[in-house]
Amino acid sequence: MKPIQPPKAARKLFEWFSGQANIDDLLGDLDELFLHHCKSKSPRKARFLYWRNVLSLCLSYALRKRKRDARYSHFSTSVVSLDMLHSYFKVAVRNLYQHKYFTVLNAFGLAIGMSIGLLLIAMYSYVRTYDTFHENGEHIYSIVTHRLSGVEDRHLASAPGLLAAKINEEYSGQVQAIEVRARFYGEVLAGNGRVPIGGYYCDDQFLEMFSFPLLSGKQDGILSKPNQVVLTERTALKLFGNSDIIGQTVELYEQGLFEVSGVLQDIPGNSHLMFDVLVSLASWKDQPIERVQEQWSEYPNQYVYVNLQHDNPGRLQSYLNKLSVNLNIHNPVQVTFSLQHLHDIATSDHYNAIGPKWELSGFIVFGAIALMILLPACFNYTNIAIARALKRSKEIGLRKTLGGMQRQIFFQFITETVVVCMIALIGGIACFIFMRSEFQRMMVAGSELDLSITPFMAFLFVAFAIFTGLVAGLFPAIYFSRLNPVEAIKSKLSTKTFNGMRVRKGLTIMQFSLSFCFILSIIVFGRQYRTLLNMDFGFRKENIVIIDLKGEVKPDVLMTELAKIPAIQSISFSSGMPVLTNNKTWIHLEKDSLEINQLFVNNDFLTQLNIQVLHGASFLETYTSHEQGVLVNEQLVRNSGLTVQDAIGHVIRVDSVDLPIVGIVQDFRHAPSSQPVGNFMLRYDPTRFSQVNAVIDVSNVFETFTSMEKSWKALSPDVPLQANFFENALDESFDTYKVLIKLAGFLGLLAISISILGLLGMVVFTVETRMKEVCIRKVMGASASTILVLLSKDFLKLLLFSVMLGIPMAVFIYQTVFTQIPNYHADLTVWDILAGTCGLFLLGIITITSQTYKTALTQPAEVLKTE
Amino acid sequence: MKETRLGDFEEVLLLLVGILDMEAYSYRIADEFYRQTGRSISIGATHSTLERLEQKGFLKSKMGEATAERGGRRKRIFTITALGKRVLKESRDFKITLWAQYPDFSTNLQFV
Repeated sequence: MKPIQPPKAARKLFEWFSGQANIDDLLGDLDELFLHHCKSKSPRKARFLYWRNVLSLCLSYALRKRKRDARYSHFSTSVVSLDMLHSYFKVAVRNLYQHKYFTVLNAFGLAIGMSIGLLLIAMYSYVRTYDTFHENGEHIYSIVTHRLSGVEDRHLASAPGLLAAKINEEYSGQVQAIEVRARFYGEVLAGNGRVPIGGYYCDDQFLEMFSFPLLSGKQDGILSKPNQVVLTERTALKLFGNSDIIGQTVELYEQGLFEVSGVLQDIPGNSHLMFDVLVSLASWKDQPIERVQEQWSEYPNQYVYVNLQHDNPGRLQSYLNKLSVNLNIHNPVQVTFSLQHLHDIATSDHYNAIGPKWELSGFIVFGAIALMILLPACFNYTNIAIARALKRSKEIGLRKTLGGMQRQIFFQFITETVVVCMIALIGGIACFIFMRSEFQRMMVAGSELDLSITPFMAFLFVAFAIFTGLVAGLFPAIYFSRLNPVEAIKSKLSTKTFNGMRVRKGLTIMQFSLSFCFILSIIVFGRQYRTLLNMDFGFRKENIVIIDLKGEVKPDVLMTELAKIPAIQSISFSSGMPVLTNNKTWIHLEKDSLEINQLFVNNDFLTQLNIQVLHGASFLETYTSHEQGVLVNEQLVRNSGLTVQDAIGHVIRVDSVDLPIVGIVQDFRHAPSSQPVGNFMLRYDPTRFSQVNAVIDVSNVFETFTSMEKSWKALSPDVPLQANFFENALDESFDTYKVLIKLAGFLGLLAISISILGLLGMVVFTVETRMKEVCIRKVMGASASTILVLLSKDFLKLLLFSVMLGIPMAVFIYQTVFTQIPNYHADLTVWDILAGTCGLFLLGIITITSQTYKTALTQPAEVLKTE
Repeated sequence: MKETRLGDFEEVLLLLVGILDMEAYSYRIADEFYRQTGRSISIGATHSTLERLEQKGFLKSKMGEATAERGGRRKRIFTITALGKRVLKESRDFKITLWAQYPDFSTNLQFV
């Protein structure tokens, strides 16, 4: 019969609890006692007693003392002493110095990998500081709403302005609620130009609640009367040249005179409230009689802030809940209110926000990209470190034989990685500074971002570098610390190394597949961009100059003036341009309503853009007093289900006027490229013309522009001429794609260079270890080319595998991401895949042969003479 | 200053170590204590006391041989040091002088 064993878990617990202490005899005693109990008692009871004894020992003075003694023994590692750290550091630096090539390779790769992460950290640490400068910031909340109207379900940052007054009036607690109406816009008439300024409507309490210090002016009643404004210092300097302007007036175009009642210090960049000017709420001109009910359900650009210094948010929230229940009873639009802390406003995901948004979701996507760049760099380090295990196994074996504990070896290698990461951090910061401005230019609100390095940021950077070190170094450190000393010292690393090889190969394949995907996405994006640029819009776009009609300039007067310039070949009028202008309206056709894009043009416009009238007639230029007909495109005829014959003369109702269709024009691209060709009509209404289009002779553009400017100046001395080539404006409308290509290209470049560095490291290492083998082969008669093939074969196989893995990955990414780009996305073709494969192989082969070729040409005698 | 006082329980254990001689390891000591006094003591208490006695310099220990019933683990054999013997002796002498002064028994205690 098998003797009863003492409970294993208890023994494990005891061993774990004892740590380094020597407890051999204690365990022996426990066993002997257990055996003794087994003889006289039931096994259950014996086990119970064993547990009790273990606990009694754990709590005893004996174990405490032994643990204390063990702490000061020579083999102790439970305390990380400063000396030991110092030694780790020294050994690490020496090791890194000895293998300079690999250190540089590793640090370079990690620096590239970390750069995106640093960018993310910089951005995050800046966004964290949003709105932290307000003195009462802790207590300020904004009221956000959840609006449910039919199928439209939205979380809005805005709230009905009436709510502020209601809270101040009804709510029993001590709160201060204010209303802010955003999007004040005006043009100041200054000198002989107009200066645009923007800001908010608000009252005195705005400046009480938020800490925007006044430079001059009295806080009391500063924004209480109609037509009072408070300017920021920057705006004041721009308009008046000095900031001592209390009591002076500014004249706004079409809005009248405003009295300056105060000047504020400039607003810090990290404020979600951004304005040039604050206008008194009393000057807000009410929209033509809104129903009270609608004021509670339609509230764009109205914001409510509350200061809860003397109250708690929970109480106000329950009041708001009750209020919204009352409001929603008789209203089809359901609105509920909730409080949002001031510090959370900048990172929230609400619609219709007053200021810039830095949504958390964006950060998560960015973080994923940063990780996608960082992880391959870490893989590389892991790869090279494990590959070099063979070289360093003697060192590890010796350390272990001399009493180096597993943990000490582990720390040694982690320290080494962290040191490499610190070196990489320097490179990473250099990359970061280089990328910073480019990145800011790419982002929509990038200019508001201040990414200069602060102490907090520096702290995060170092923490990030240490984190990277831990990620990259963990696997090799565990691997090294677990080596069997006997095997290690004899350089006989058994099966484990084989597994290591496999992991390494797997990692390399993963990396190259990723790079492959990036290469493909650059190819596809690039083609998409090119197709858009060379897209057949269905109209002529060359040599057309658009001149905006501004100020008091009369179209026909301008036309006669321009006609005098010889280089101008033809002139037309329109309300906009296809693709660039998106002017939608609704028409009634039979019984249906259709959404339709429209442009107001004259006959010359059709000739200029070479738009063919397929059926019927073009406009009659005799339409002078009122519209008498419209031209529609083929698509509309198709959508309406009419035949061509029926369509001509068919009456449609638009803007409460009945107009017959007089002609049908060919389909052409009228909307931005993200939309398909839809319903479209051309109308003739001279009052709606907003631009003059001139076809010019491009042989002497500069002179033509100068003469145009001269003619313009004669008509309108105040407003400068604004003229652009249509083609350039079209190209600019594709800027989003340009940014995307730039981004994909840049990330791809990073990913590819990281994987190339990784491959280089592996090739260098392999070549180094196989040097003798190669030389012996050469002595035996192998040719340089055979050697080249021999050394490169394995790596080429890796590349092949990664392409095989990369193709399905790329197709998957293409199908999930690219096809989401609305319309006219470029297809992923076999040729793209082929081109991507060739590109990857070309890069790979250059990297591999750069090393193997050198080896293949070595003189055997040089290497073998020392044997 | 090094603690040199000898507690009552400590004195008994010290005596048991002396009695058991080469067999003086904690399991046997605890066992012997039970046999002699009829009271059982926990293994934690035994070890703590022995550890404390060693700290005070009354005992010294060395690792002995392993046996099968101990799962192949070695014993820690305790032996009394010269200091330990002296302290025991002093303790006994001190008590005897006290007994000698005790009125009822002083005449009967002639055997020393």
